[in-house]
Amino acid sequence: MTELTVDQPDFSRERALLEKTWAKNPGIAGWLSETGHKSIGLRYIVTAFCFFALGGVEAALMRWQLSRPDNHFLNPDLYNQIFTVHGSTMMFLFAVPVMLGMGIYFVPLMVGTRNVPFPKLNAYGYFVYVAGGLFLYAMFFIGAGPDAGWFSYVPLSGPTFDPGKRADTWAQMITFTEFSALIVAVEITVCAFKMRAPGMSLNRIPLFVWSMIMVSFMVMFAMPAVMLDSTYLIFDRAFSMHFFNRPEGGDPIFFQHMFWFFGHPEVYIIFIPGLGFTSSIITAFTQRKIFGYVAMVSTLVITAFLGFSVWAHHMFATGIPQLGTSFFTAASLMIVIPTGVQIFCWTATMWSGRVRIKTPMMYVFGFFITFIIGGLTGVMLGSVPIDWQVHDTFFVVAHLHYVLIGGAVFPLFGAFHFWFPKWTGRMYSEALGQLSFWLLLVGFNVTFFPMHLLGLYGMPRRVYTYGAQTGWGPMNALASMGAALIALSILTMLINFAMYRRRGPLAGPNPWNADTLEWSLPSPPPSYNFLHIPTVAGMNAVWDAAPDQPYVTGIRFDKREILVTKTLDAEPDHKHEIPGHSLAPFLLAVTSTVGLIGSIFYGWWFTAGMLLSVPILVYWFWPKREEVEEQLARDRGIVMAEEA
Amino acid sequence: MARRVLDVSALEADTADSRALLWWGNLGMMAIEGTIFAMLIATYLYLRMVNLDWPPSTVRDPDILWPAINLGILLLTFIPALILDRAALHDNVPLCKLALAACIVTGAAFFTIQFTVLANLGYKWSDHAYGSVVWTAIGYHMLHVITATGETALLFIYSLVRPIVKKQLLDFRCTAVYWYFVILMWLPFYFIVFVEPYVTRKGY
Repeated sequence: MTELTVDQPDFSRERALLEKTWAKNPGIAGWLSETGHKSIGLRYIVTAFCFFALGGVEAALMRWQLSRPDNHFLNPDLYNQIFTVHGSTMMFLFAVPVMLGMGIYFVPLMVGTRNVPFPKLNAYGYFVYVAGGLFLYAMFFIGAGPDAGWFSYVPLSGPTFDPGKRADTWAQMITFTEFSALIVAVEITVCAFKMRAPGMSLNRIPLFVWSMIMVSFMVMFAMPAVMLDSTYLIFDRAFSMHFFNRPEGGDPIFFQHMFWFFGHPEVYIIFIPGLGFTSSIITAFTQRKIFGYVAMVSTLVITAFLGFSVWAHHMFATGIPQLGTSFFTAASLMIVIPTGVQIFCWTATMWSGRVRIKTPMMYVFGFFITFIIGGLTGVMLGSVPIDWQVHDTFFVVAHLHYVLIGGAVFPLFGAFHFWFPKWTGRMYSEALGQLSFWLLLVGFNVTFFPMHLLGLYGMPRRVYTYGAQTGWGPMNALASMGAALIALSILTMLINFAMYRRRGPLAGPNPWNADTLEWSLPSPPPSYNFLHIPTVAGMNAVWDAAPDQPYVTGIRFDKREILVTKTLDAEPDHKHEIPGHSLAPFLLAVTSTVGLIGSIFYGWWFTAGMLLSVPILVYWFWPKREEVEEQLARDRGIVMAEEA
Repeated sequence: MARRVLDVSALEADTADSRALLWWGNLGMMAIEGTIFAMLIATYLYLRMVNLDWPPSTVRDPDILWPAINLGILLLTFIPALILDRAALHDNVPLCKLALAACIVTGAAFFTIQFTVLANLGYKWSDHAYGSVVWTAIGYHMLHVITATGETALLFIYSLVRPIVKKQLLDFRCTAVYWYFVILMWLPFYFIVFVEPYVTRKGY
């Protein structure tokens, strides 16, 4: 040991250089111009969690309203706004951004690089997302919140039945959030395909990264549909176009086709990262290589593909042709196969190892239970006769919450506990963690299981109250009590994190002895991630590393330089300097916001926003003089006259 | 104790080809925008499917001359774009500048003429669903041509005032590829708006 430490080179100079190169700027301007992937990723996660809390408050208000018959705590109009904003918040402002935020934070760490490929664009995506969320809530608080459901079907959301700016608010919020999701998708794809540490060939990519790659592809091909759909809606409303106006040749059902062509992949966009978290957690807590890696990756790909061919099962009640329903039923039921393979692979992994039961692992078990129940009701809903029977009832509400909370929120909370030591350098309280888990598991089932029965008894969705003679009162009261338990669980989790963030026992770099590269770094990771870009010798990078696993040298420490590698086998290809801080993303987000929000009032604001963006884009792309001089010397061996 | 290391100091810094990160980012952007184009075409075909009278009988057969000339101009842009692409690959900066200028001229000519094509369609976006989808499709494509022209103009101005290094050569090539994309995307729309009514006019 002693010889080793004596001879081990001292990297303090390199470390100091890296710290200087990757330092954050101080102050508000520094915050606004920050482009590090960990900062942006954490911002996504924290912001999305704030929106989750707001969506939770809305859910609580609805549960309070429904807790007894003939309740007039909320009026019908406010109730409409609240369920619309609740759904829109949870889907567009919480679920997708929080998953993509986890990707932005962890994908560069797991593939062994220093930042995302286009850091300024990444920062821009975050600001646009925040602007969209604030816009929705600003309109909600002044009483103009959208009120036609989170999917805002026409004709209800069309110009005839929804005057004012409510539906426009919804539609433009979509533009903001999908913009940001599309940006993140490109960042993650390019990062995972071109910036992996040498040795991390395609068949050694961690499963979480694979899940984010598949999600990114789904985002790229699904989100444009809803952006275009909501744009058509704005056009119909603002410019008297007729995309959805039947008398002039449009078709309201087309809105639903476009919406669900996005909407069903959206569900997978939300839960496929959950599959990634689950694989990471199971690997760490069983200390085993995942069983059936190739099968796992293939099923991720298959699920992503199938996700695009099932959208019309949301539209069985619209009277689409019978042959069509048969096709979509078959396609929907096929999803069971890849999902089943995944669950069997996880089970086999756990079978072969000794499972350590800690909070993250408990959340994974919670995911199995609730997601399987949600999956089974999904199979039921995939069958047309049942779907017709329970369409627009609380059965569907129960199903979608089992799938989304079971498939996404349980693994996400497991992931929060799993990576808490990495983020903060401290351990959370295991007791509080387990308490929050049990509260969530019990609270969730008490809230949502009765909704299955309420749906079968005929209680429709989206009605603000019901008569006592329906007999739905007791079960609704039960569901509302469950909601209180869910709130308590989340409060417990937040208290746990807040208390132990600074005071918890020190975690060290790898408290779980987990296998992916972020665990080879100090907790929390330094701004530059890796002192040296690592190399990878196997599927589980940390476990498979040789004692003297080579690291990469020849990457500059005084520049934000990264290594670009080849797509298939990650052999070193070339070096590339990525940009640092810039205020341009924030400024561009401001002009985009002005253009997009203005355009729902007057169309010319869109043009104004674009024109305002031109000087900022020039500022964004125009390189600094010293950069040009250096590149000139490097590429052409020319030194500029005044320096020579 | 000596450590084994993987020394990459001999690798080149930046490339101006398909290995570059920006190249991949550009592909991602085109995948997204291409999806939107595909959705627009799907919109047209869907609305065509649900309407017996398509294009609506009030719509006269489209003019042939200017749209055809404009198609020619857009296809012509392919030549300077290709030259830009190749010249950037071979580091021929003067030729790049010439090609950039040519792209700006043809691009600007295209969208200027396109304004008159829109004005001469004979129907408005608010007349019927057919008008809505045609105006949206043409408008969306024009937005791309205007963006591509603006981007090309910015690079051209830059090339006049600052020296060109590998980074800009990559920008040139990505712009050229973007032009290919913009040109190709017009072909299905051209067929739908200006050819299809002659081939299969429903309701006749």
